[in-house]
Parts: sequence; C-alpha cells; structure tokens
Amino acid sequence: MIYALTDVSKCFASVTALEGVSFGVKQGEQVGVLGPSGSGKSTLFRLLNATLRPSSGSLSFDGNDTTTMSSDTLRLMRRRTATIYQQHNLVPSLTALENTLSGALGRWSLWHTLRNNILPAREDAERALDALQLVSLAEKRHTRASELSGGQQQRVAIARALMQSPDVILADEPIASLDPELSRSILDLLVRIAGDGGRTLIVALHSVELAREYMPRLVGLQQGKVFFDASPPEIAMDQWRCLYSASSPMDDRLPDEARRRRPRCS
Amino acid sequence: MATGAALLERKGLTRVVSARTWPFAAGFAAAVLVAWRYAEIHPGLLLHRATYTAIVQFLIGSLPPDLSIGFLRIVAEAAVLTVATAIASTTISILLAVPLGMLACSSLWRTGLVATSRGEGVLFRSLSFLSVTTRSVLGFLRAVPDLVWALLFVAALGLGPLAGTLALAVSYTGVLGRVYADVFDAVDARPLEALLSTGAGRVQIFLTAIWPQALPNLTAYTLYSFECCVRAAAVLGFVGAGGIGYEISLSMRLFDYRQVSTLLLAFVVILSLTDLASRRLRRFLSRGLSNPALSVEAMRSLEVPELPRTRAARSVPRNVPFWSVLVVVVSAIVASFYFSGFVGVFEEASQTPWELLHFAARLLPPDLSFSFVQSLWLPLIQTLAISLLGTLLGVLLGAPLSLAATSRLVFVASEGPERRRMISSAARHALYWGARLLLSVLRSIPELVWALICIVAIGIGPFAGTIALGLHTTGVLGKLYADTMEEVAMQPVEALRALGARPLQLLLWAIWPQTRRLLGSYTVLRWDMNLRAATILGLVGGGGLGQVMYNDVQLGFYSRVATLILFLYALVMATDWAGTRIWSALPE
Repeated sequence: MIYALTDVSKCFASVTALEGVSFGVKQGEQVGVLGPSGSGKSTLFRLLNATLRPSSGSLSFDGNDTTTMSSDTLRLMRRRTATIYQQHNLVPSLTALENTLSGALGRWSLWHTLRNNILPAREDAERALDALQLVSLAEKRHTRASELSGGQQQRVAIARALMQSPDVILADEPIASLDPELSRSILDLLVRIAGDGGRTLIVALHSVELAREYMPRLVGLQQGKVFFDASPPEIAMDQWRCLYSASSPMDDRLPDEARRRRPRCS
Repeated sequence: MATGAALLERKGLTRVVSARTWPFAAGFAAAVLVAWRYAEIHPGLLLHRATYTAIVQFLIGSLPPDLSIGFLRIVAEAAVLTVATAIASTTISILLAVPLGMLACSSLWRTGLVATSRGEGVLFRSLSFLSVTTRSVLGFLRAVPDLVWALLFVAALGLGPLAGTLALAVSYTGVLGRVYADVFDAVDARPLEALLSTGAGRVQIFLTAIWPQALPNLTAYTLYSFECCVRAAAVLGFVGAGGIGYEISLSMRLFDYRQVSTLLLAFVVILSLTDLASRRLRRFLSRGLSNPALSVEAMRSLEVPELPRTRAARSVPRNVPFWSVLVVVVSAIVASFYFSGFVGVFEEASQTPWELLHFAARLLPPDLSFSFVQSLWLPLIQTLAISLLGTLLGVLLGAPLSLAATSRLVFVASEGPERRRMISSAARHALYWGARLLLSVLRSIPELVWALICIVAIGIGPFAGTIALGLHTTGVLGKLYADTMEEVAMQPVEALRALGARPLQLLLWAIWPQTRRLLGSYTVLRWDMNLRAATILGLVGGGGLGQVMYNDVQLGFYSRVATLILFLYALVMATDWAGTRIWSALPE
C-alpha cells in the first residue's frame, strides 16, 4: 500500500471539505477520482501530496503516518509525489527548461540551488532535457512558459513531474482547460509514463467518458464523502446520475445545514 | 531521437544568466568603485567610538519628546502652516496646470486627426511649436527640485511662508501639467473623431470628449500629488520657508533634540492625516468610478514614494452630501491662502511681482566662464556618487527587510508539532510587524531630516548624505518590494512547495522570477528620484551640487546659481534618458 486513508476528515474555518474518507491505493495502481465541483477533490489531492494535513483520521504514505511527521519528513514525502494541476502552475517568466529543472528542487542542497540559479549543473540540465524529450517539447526548451499554449504548458508540467522521478503522480484535473483531442494525448502520456516506471497515478477528472476509458479503478466523491469506489463496469448508471445531480455549483454557497437537508442518494 | 546530452552538445549549455548581464555587472562594479571614492565613504567612521557617542547622545537627548504647552503651540502653528502651504500651492498649480496641460497635450495640437483637421499650414506649425515649448517648460519646472525653487524664492522675497508656497506652486505646476497632458493624450480617441466629424472645434472637443474621460484619472493623480506636496512643504522649511521643517532645523541647530523628536512625531501625524484625508476624498470623488491604478510611467512623473493601495477600501463611504464636502474643501483653501502669507501680497500688491522680476534679472546671464564650469565637475560626480551608493545601500538593506515584511513569506503554513507551531507563530508575527514598523519609520522621515541626523553622528560631507539617502531609500524600496511580492501569483509557488522545495528555493525559483522585472524597474526609478534628492542634500550639508548652490545663494553669486540650475536640468534630463534606457535594457 502506498496510500492508506482511514476515516480522514479535513475542515477549514467553517467548511468541512472531506468527511470520513477511507480507502487505500497500491503501489503502481491507476485511480481516477470523480465528483462535482466542491466535492473535495482538490482538498484530497492536497492531503495526498502533503501540502495539507488531515484534521482528523490518519493518512499514511508508504507505511508512515503523515499526522506525526516532522516538517523535514513531510518534505521528503512531497519529493516523492509529483503534482500536476489544472493550469497556471508553471512560473510564467521562466523557460520550459528552467521550469522542468525546478522539479528537482527537493533534492538539491541550498548550495546546489544557488549554483543552479546561475548556471545549471550539466547532469541536471541533461536530465531536464531528457524529460522534455519524453513529452516532445525539447525544441521549445528556451521558450518562456507564458508563451506556450495550454497543452504545451501541461506537457512542461509533466516533464517537471518526471524530473522529480516520483513514486506517485497526482494530477488534479490536468485536462480541464484543454480541448478533447489534446485531453486524450495528455492522458495517454500520463498513463504511459506512470506505467513505464511502475508509478502510482491518481487523476481527478470531470469527464465520465474519459475516466471510464482510461482508469481501471474509480473513486467517486460527493460532498466530501466517498460515494463509490469500484472498477468502471461495476458502477451502475443511476449511481453516475446521482453523483452529479445531488449537488450543483450553487451548493458551495449554501450553509452546511441547507446542504445536509438535501435528499441524498444511497 | 537525440538524448538530452547530445542536444546540449549541439546547442551549448542552458541560458540562465544572459550574456548581457556580464557587461552590466562589470560597468556597475566600476561605477560603484568610482562612486565609493567620490562620495568619501569611510566605513571605519561608522565603527568609530565618537560616532556611537554622538548617536547615543542624540537618542538619549531626544527622549522624552518636549510636550510643554508653549512648545506644542509652536508645533501646532508650524503644522497648520505646512498644511496650508501645501493646499494653497496645490490649488495654484491645479489652476495653472489645466490650461498648460491642455496646451501641452499632443492629440489636440501636434499629431492625430484633431490636430491636423484644419490642414498643416502655418497656423498648425506655430500651434504645434507652442505646444512643444509648453511641454518642455513644464518639464523644466518639474526637473528643478522644489527645494531649489524654495531657495530662489526665499532669496527673492525673504524668509517666510509665501516663498515656500510659490516655490511649491511652480514645481507642482510642472509635475501636474505633465501628468495632465499625458492623461489627456491617453483618453479613448474615438469620441474625439466622432465630434470632429460633427464640425466641433478644439475647445469643444476638449470640453465634451477629453475632459470627462480624463476626470477620474485627473482627480486621482492630483490627490496623490497633494500627498507628495505635503511632504515637500514640511521639508521646505530647511531653507527658511517656514513650517515644520524650519522648526526642525532650528531645534537641530540649538541641539534641543527633545524638540526635534516632538516635531518628527508631529510630522508623521500630519502625513498620516493627509493620507487619510486624501483617501477619503478620493473615495468620495470616485463614487461609482473605478479607481485607476498608477502605472510605473505615472509614478515616474509624479514621484510617488510608494505604491498607492489598490486593495478595496474597508468601510463604505457614508452618503455625505456633495455641498458639505464642497464647503469644507473651499474653506480649507481660503484659510490656506490666508495662513500661507498671501494676505501680505494683497496689502502691498505692487511689490511682490517687482521683487521677483528684479531677482530674475540678477540671475542673468548665467556664469558660463570656463573656470566656474570646470569647478562644477567634482560636485557633479559627487552628486552622482551619492545617489548611486545611497540607492545601493537602500537595496542592500531594503531587500532583506522586505522579505521579513512580506506576509506570504513569513506566514507560509507552519509545519511540525503543535507546540513548536505556536512558538514559531509568535516569532513570525514579531518579525513581520517589526520589519513593517522599521520600514515605515525609515520611509516617513525625509532624506533631509536623516541627513541632519547623520551629520550629527558623522559630520558634514557626502558620506552623511549617502547614509541619509540610503536610510530613506531602504524604507521606500523595502515597502515597495514587499508589496510587489505580495501580489505574486501563488499557484506556481504552491506547485513547487508540493514537490518538496524549501522556503529559500521557493523564493529563488518561484517568487524572484515573477517579480524581478518589476523590482528592477522600481529600483531604477528610485535611483532617478534619488539623483534629484542627492542634489538637494547639499543644502543641509550633505555634499554635492546642492552644497555649491547653497553657498552661492548665501554669497549672492546669482549668475552662478543660474548656471547650476541649468546643470541640474541637464543632469535630470540625462538621467531620465539613461533611466529609460537602463530600464528597457535590463536583462529579463
């Protein structure tokens, strides 16, 4: 088990984003996470990459409980998990190569960071270029991130994740701002890269169709709770319908009581 | 498929430091070395025991502030005088700047459809010439520092508030005229064209198409410049134009540091109140209008010392009736003219203009003799050196302080066990608020006051001027840097934190690349302003051209003073030019 979540909850000031979530992920498994906006997907990803810690319950990564980790151990864990976001997560004024290089920051000593700020070490630059090659963007290595298209930016983000040589790739709606054709190519790339290295891949998606096609296991989230956790054929049609119909984006603005009073599907 | 190594072989190593950086760095280092010599920098002096004794004596002597009734009355009078001077001079400069700005604007007289609508004959050419001339005159009024204008008016009219008011009026006519012209030029041109096609004349087009469009920007910029004007008014007293500055220099000379600290407190209070009043007024005037953010260009011409707050105002303005605000503003203006010495002008109406003309005649012709011009090289280089090293000191001290004053950096999610988090949270608050307080103290005390204090500690000369400029610049740049870093996009920072980057790495790889361009241009802009400041530091003994000018005015060598003013103008023009060049050539 690379991840084991037991009864995990996460509360912010007045909102409960996740409530009693339990599931496990094996090393090398590929999991899709689905759910309407506001269902807690992004919070779940922040817990998985250890930028947040659970308010209650326990989340263990590779056998270690994150709730008792020191900040240094947390950083080591972050190093092993690569996160790809919807968009806007590259540094706009840095080139594709520099953005890719930054994937290795977690492994650099402070001295090495300062040195690489002036002139990157040869082996680092080579690895970054190799990563860019894998996503077929080596030609654009000196182009600034702000001048790349949306699809190209996502590929740089993937290259940065590769640079980390992570055990886990977390992708939070990586294709939400791309057109269908590009979406498929990005998903193909993610699945291939994860498969090649025996890496765990967890992807949040909003397209049911693509999720069923690409992911052997799907976790449905609704209002911060696990709604289903199964392989695509096991999920019934009305379960799909309930997942998205019970809440609309408007719900985010309703107080918790009002949300709770809504009829739940079971 | 070529591997990364092969690609590197072919294209050379990656570019992180651009090739243009090296000549810049070399030129800069050379300039610093030269400046070090000419600004007479003696770091050893700072470690000297006498310096410490002087500082300690100053600090002990300045506590507690003198709060006796008699002195408080003097402070109150000086404060009223300072504010009155600022209000009266801003009023005059608005009245002059509107027509002059209209004349200087290019879209009415020089280029574009409206300007050329009556053909490009003699009339067009002469109007166009007049417009260009107006623009350069405004530039000249702006380029000569307000303190120099004050020095001249004091020499012409004698000590007193009237000289200060007129000096500020002249200087801010230049500032506002240029800004107004730029604002008039920046309005949407389509309505102008539409009106032109209906057969409207220039004045009609100005009144119906340009003025309404420009109004929100005009009010905002005018209020910002009023704030600057209050700062300036407080300082003018140093050359004898009355107000808080006069009292400060008087108390300094009498070594009564307790009075000095009272006056400094009063000064900070006045500035905060002005800030508050102008923000209220801006909100009142811009009800329903969006408050324009200041561009770097506008900051350049306004010399705004800091970024105006763009965050949403906390309280919604109550529904104050328009007439009551009008009554307050008008009575403030009338009272200001009364206090700032204009009553005397009306009593002996015939005198003042004659005195001014008489004085102007004595300035001419400028002394362009070779020996005099040659003697100016040393103070000129000294002025440049002071401005360069003062700015550098400000950057070196301001940058680390700004890190502590950026809430996003100081309050990054604390991690680790609960108890340690509590302690670190208290330490972080102390660090953040301490840095903010220090920056705001450094910033709100003007360069000239710092110069007086530094002179007490290390004696008269360019070194004191450099330190003074550096301290004030630290406050200004530290705040500016911190505010810039607060505005940075957080997603990339979050992304790098998620992959295990340490705080310092976040700073170097996510925040610095996003802000370096802006920070660079603010710094160059500040250097430009500091050069002007460096020319006037000499008026209180901080070395450079100002010192020469002060001596020549005292001795009555007015034709030399005229040469100095021309020199200053040329210097400001040259650095304006150099500033824009450096700014656009700054490596990314």
